[in-house]
Amino acid sequence: MAFTIVTQGTFTQPATAVNQIIPLPSGADYFVTTNLTQMATTQGTGRVVRGEWFGGGLTAVNDGLRWKKTNSTSAINIDNFSTATASNGFTYVTTQPQPEAAVTGTAITNANPAVVTMTNTYSEGDVVQLYGTTGMLQISGMAFTISSVSGSGFTLTGLDASGFANAATAVVARRISKLMPVEPRFLYVTGISKATQGVVTVSEKHQYVVGQKVEFTIPGSFGMVQLNNYYLPQNIPPVITAVTDYTFTINVNTTNFTTFAFPTSASSPTAQLFATVASAGQSTQFNPITGVQTGYNFQYVPFHSGNFIPYMYLPAGAQSPGGSASDIIVWQAYKMETGTINAPVPS
Amino acid sequence: MTFSTGITGIQNMAPELPVQASEDLLSTPMFNLIHSFGVDLHHAESYVGKTTRMSRFERLSTEGGQLDGSGIDPASEVPVRTDIDATMEIYAKSIVTNEQVVLWENSKTLTKFTALLGQWLREKEDLLMRDLFSSSVSYINSTGGLNGDQPSNISLNDVNNIENILLGNDARSMLTSLEATLKFATGGVRDAFIALANTNLCADLQKVQGVLLKSAYPTQEGIRPEEYCSISRFRFFVSSKAAKTPGISLRGNTVYTIPMFGLEAAAKIEQNNYTAVIGYRPPWVVSSVAQNSQLYAKFAIARAITNQNWISGLNVTTFQPS
Repeated sequence: MAFTIVTQGTFTQPATAVNQIIPLPSGADYFVTTNLTQMATTQGTGRVVRGEWFGGGLTAVNDGLRWKKTNSTSAINIDNFSTATASNGFTYVTTQPQPEAAVTGTAITNANPAVVTMTNTYSEGDVVQLYGTTGMLQISGMAFTISSVSGSGFTLTGLDASGFANAATAVVARRISKLMPVEPRFLYVTGISKATQGVVTVSEKHQYVVGQKVEFTIPGSFGMVQLNNYYLPQNIPPVITAVTDYTFTINVNTTNFTTFAFPTSASSPTAQLFATVASAGQSTQFNPITGVQTGYNFQYVPFHSGNFIPYMYLPAGAQSPGGSASDIIVWQAYKMETGTINAPVPS
Repeated sequence: MTFSTGITGIQNMAPELPVQASEDLLSTPMFNLIHSFGVDLHHAESYVGKTTRMSRFERLSTEGGQLDGSGIDPASEVPVRTDIDATMEIYAKSIVTNEQVVLWENSKTLTKFTALLGQWLREKEDLLMRDLFSSSVSYINSTGGLNGDQPSNISLNDVNNIENILLGNDARSMLTSLEATLKFATGGVRDAFIALANTNLCADLQKVQGVLLKSAYPTQEGIRPEEYCSISRFRFFVSSKAAKTPGISLRGNTVYTIPMFGLEAAAKIEQNNYTAVIGYRPPWVVSSVAQNSQLYAKFAIARAITNQNWISGLNVTTFQPS
């Protein structure tokens, strides 16, 4: 049965290589990457120049064939990605990813920001769901974007735990998808300032935008109940006026509100959790003098699928199909011309 | 055992056909479709982009307004409009059938596979609406259960807490009129909000204080098979595919999310002239030697939470770890 290329593309890794996601609307039976940059080099430590993935269950998750130049020469050695350490292969994703295997850590500092001690293989910007946070139960179940990632730990930039009575003495993490099935998603609130325009801190890097309206759910256990389901006069939800990676500012004067604070760890099994915020639409503003419409972003505001599924996940790295810094990668996805139900097909 | 009687029987003359098809097909398993019937249905026109905007005028302020007899008019108020947008997306599935299947193996494949594609269409649509509820709504942990986990198993206090939230936000219940009863094909119990739960929670729902199981409803007429029980102002509908996330409770157990909402909390938007398309491509189109035909189904859908005030829900675990 003949194969036909259904899609082909290329990408260039930035100065700090990142994992790549290739949407595959028609699915794929065979997928191949070629590292054009490393094809032309000879490195002291050999580089992967070509990767192959076979459908129909023939290639395991996070694996595939790798064509690797041997050290200091252009001679090719072929093996599996899984046979080498510090090497990740292809992962073909056909459903919204579920939480990954649990990884156990030993501590979370009660500092700003909180720092997790955990032997891990996570990457900068990954999202993890934490639970089993002994001594810090008020965050058990929350999702966090992690930063300053090393093999021995990472930082929860979106969590100021300096007000917590104790550090956590145990923690379990499961990595989850950075994107929810539907965006914009709800977010966990970790702090709200008392100011003429309150600043809200959330546990994940968010994609909320200026002009977006938001709705808060603040249980009584978190203090600032005045913002719970808060509506401005005229029944208008709060509107975002400024954003940073982990914070956004709202047009609500929170100065005289009760201070926002997490419940204690001891009370958490019975305290209502969590403080959250969700998208509640937007109102655009139009300036008839300048002719400029503001307060809207078509890329982020409308409800839409978070992940395009299926897709091929290409991890970055010199020994991985995604390549390393500044590498130019060509990828091709092949699909059988026609699948028939009375013949075994790789699909 | 053999008999030397000279009689011709099935021992020495086996049936010519070793198997025959029964008169009817067995049922194709299908999960309960619960995530769409409680939402508003809208339609998008063609040729005007893929973003559908649903707008709501917010109510006017009730403060002030008294005239003092001076003849001076009170300040006018500018109405505020909130826009909820949703992006239209298209999903499709096809079955390619070789002519030999029809010739030698199976009859009426077009009819059978059309039914399969129709089922896929409704199941996929249901899961997409489920994902909307699980991604874009705020949930509160149950705390009133006795399993010691965080969140706990569901309790009456937890359900009442969500009822307080919805009532406090002026959410409208679903079944306040005969028209609504007929619209959702549900029997009359009392005016109620809707709650959508995983079938793994059924045992725990039975134990909630004050639960009214479906069998105890005053009337059984028109009750959907997906409905399981009624607790406080909520009528619970269950599906094996309702949202759950494995292994993230305090004790590492599965956490289930239960969206609970009233009227106009969420919306499903269909594309005019496109939604629920099932088509057929004949063999001379699909195959150069006219041997393969193709059936396909496709649909367009956009989805949105249209009023966060009128939807809430619970994170729960099961009493017996799952």
